Amino acid sequence: MKGAEFLVRALEHEGVEIIFGYPGGAIMPVYDALLDSKIRHILVRHEQAAALAADGYARATGKVGVCMATSGPGATNLVTGIANAYMDSVPMVAITGQVATSLMGTDAFQEVDIFGITLPVVKHSFLAKTAAELPRIVHEAFRIARSGRPGPVLIDLPKDIANTVAEYEFHENAASEESAESSKDSITRALTLMRESRNPVVYAGGGIGMGNAIEEFRAFIAATRIPVVATLKGLGALPTTHEFALGMMGMHGTKTANHAVQTCDLLICVGARFDDRATGRLNAFAPNAKVIHLDVDRAEVGKLRRADVPVIGNLRHALKALTCKLTEIEPWRRECTASKETHAWDYAAPGKEVYAPGFLKTLSDRAGDDSIVACDVGQHQMWVAQHFHFNRPSQHLSSGGLGTMGYGLPAAIGAQLAFPNACVINVSGDGSIMMNLQELATLRRYDLPVKIVLFDNRALGMVRQWQELFHDKRYSEVDLSDNPDFCRVAESMGIPAFRVEDRGDVSSAIDRLLAEPGPVLAHVLIHQEANVWPIVGPGRSNSEMLHQHEVAREVAR
Amino acid sequence: MNKFTLQLRVKQSEGALVRILGVTRRRRFDLLHLTADTSEDGHFLDVQMTVQADRAENTLVRQIEKLEDVSQVEVVEPDAIHGERRAARSTAH
Repeated sequence: MKGAEFLVRALEHEGVEIIFGYPGGAIMPVYDALLDSKIRHILVRHEQAAALAADGYARATGKVGVCMATSGPGATNLVTGIANAYMDSVPMVAITGQVATSLMGTDAFQEVDIFGITLPVVKHSFLAKTAAELPRIVHEAFRIARSGRPGPVLIDLPKDIANTVAEYEFHENAASEESAESSKDSITRALTLMRESRNPVVYAGGGIGMGNAIEEFRAFIAATRIPVVATLKGLGALPTTHEFALGMMGMHGTKTANHAVQTCDLLICVGARFDDRATGRLNAFAPNAKVIHLDVDRAEVGKLRRADVPVIGNLRHALKALTCKLTEIEPWRRECTASKETHAWDYAAPGKEVYAPGFLKTLSDRAGDDSIVACDVGQHQMWVAQHFHFNRPSQHLSSGGLGTMGYGLPAAIGAQLAFPNACVINVSGDGSIMMNLQELATLRRYDLPVKIVLFDNRALGMVRQWQELFHDKRYSEVDLSDNPDFCRVAESMGIPAFRVEDRGDVSSAIDRLLAEPGPVLAHVLIHQEANVWPIVGPGRSNSEMLHQHEVAREVAR
Repeated sequence: MNKFTLQLRVKQSEGALVRILGVTRRRRFDLLHLTADTSEDGHFLDVQMTVQADRAENTLVRQIEKLEDVSQVEVVEPDAIHGERRAARSTAH
């Protein structure tokens, strides 16, 4: 048996069902071995999409996503997707072919030091030096990828090692390590702070979903009745329509969520990391609050904001231990819920153009509770976060930490392959879609019924919005008025497409989109100057949100 | 500026030292001094490094602890040769 077969057999032992990849010279032995494997290989049209599809697959399923590419440019093209998984703690194993060991370090054809290049964006990495160690490396890679705070692991496989004939030694899968339980002392101190608090807020992050702690989280909220604000990745930890859910916090958060955090006396951070997009100006963030910080990664606790009580370890255990009745907070909780009702989204926008938030609200209502939305990056991404309803975080595939334009379509492909019967929607923009447009061909090839909603404002909308608001309307390189005809582009790749221009057509367009049995693209024209509201300006505190009507008044003056 | 010395033990593995130095640079700590030597059994690399930064020492300690192959991180008094370590605090991975 060859090294490449060792690798494939070990992947089978790990239960891998799908690999996203693209072949090439140095990885050919593995592609040869895949012909005799039951693992399904999905051929993307650019390696970046292989990594992003593996990421989408992993977020939707909770399993480790696997991607593969050849040495050199194949490997470097994976890097954005690996970094994306690293920033959002997504379990992934990336396998790269490498030139033969004897050629490594000689600047051989398609040689690149992918091990070195990816060091800052992997949880760990391996360079295979013998065929015999490959099964152990694979199992170690999977264990590391999914244990504790998940992340991507790279396996670099030189071609001669893949071709080495040796005796296969079976290795057991390395069991995932259960994270340690939090200390009793930290739980006691946290409970004391909770009981002393009159205005507590829970700041819910992506760690709740990734740590399989949704059930415990919901029980914790049901008992304590503490209002909840969410990060981009925390949306759905509590259903977004839940009475206690105040919406997303941060730069494009709701007024109610940001106000609650800014005025609370206790902030309970659960699996989040005080990211700048969530906190605004850090030294003005939750200025009156004591902080309890629950996280599996103790490097995150105290990194940006001192925690009065760090609760390090398994979130499921910690949440269970903190579940109790709080008797004194009901007036505050009612105040938060009332504020949420007062500041509910208003979908009655002026004009005849399609109003993207309203479109997404209707789409969300009709797509059903099991739909999965993958989005790209920019204005449409924030509208999805604000206006879509999520019942669980794995329904919402969004590039939070890295902010990777071009994430949505590959991520939707990954999710649709994991759940062939689910309604998977890719919401994109006319800027983002062009970053991985080639993957329309992958949709067609595998006949994946992904529904694409392409909001087109003929501009790089989020950058345009910032230039309008913060750069005196000095518009620099944001004009996309020479976009191709997206319907014809889609049709040329075998994807039916239609255009939506009037608000009056939105309802029927959404019905048509959802009724289509296969892949389909809705090209939705929106006003170029439609902005995401509210917004916290760069360097500003979350107490200083800008609202649309206020900015309009400024301009009128 | 916060200046301190770390004593680390890391498994001899591909890129072990580069990984540690990479984390140090990325977290914005400046390297002032470094010694590294293979342990007697040959399985580990013992690293002593002195760094400085505006950030708290724990920021770096916690990030280095997370590295898969690092088995020991201690903040120590600087010691040019591998003499007796006067551990201010010890943490195990």
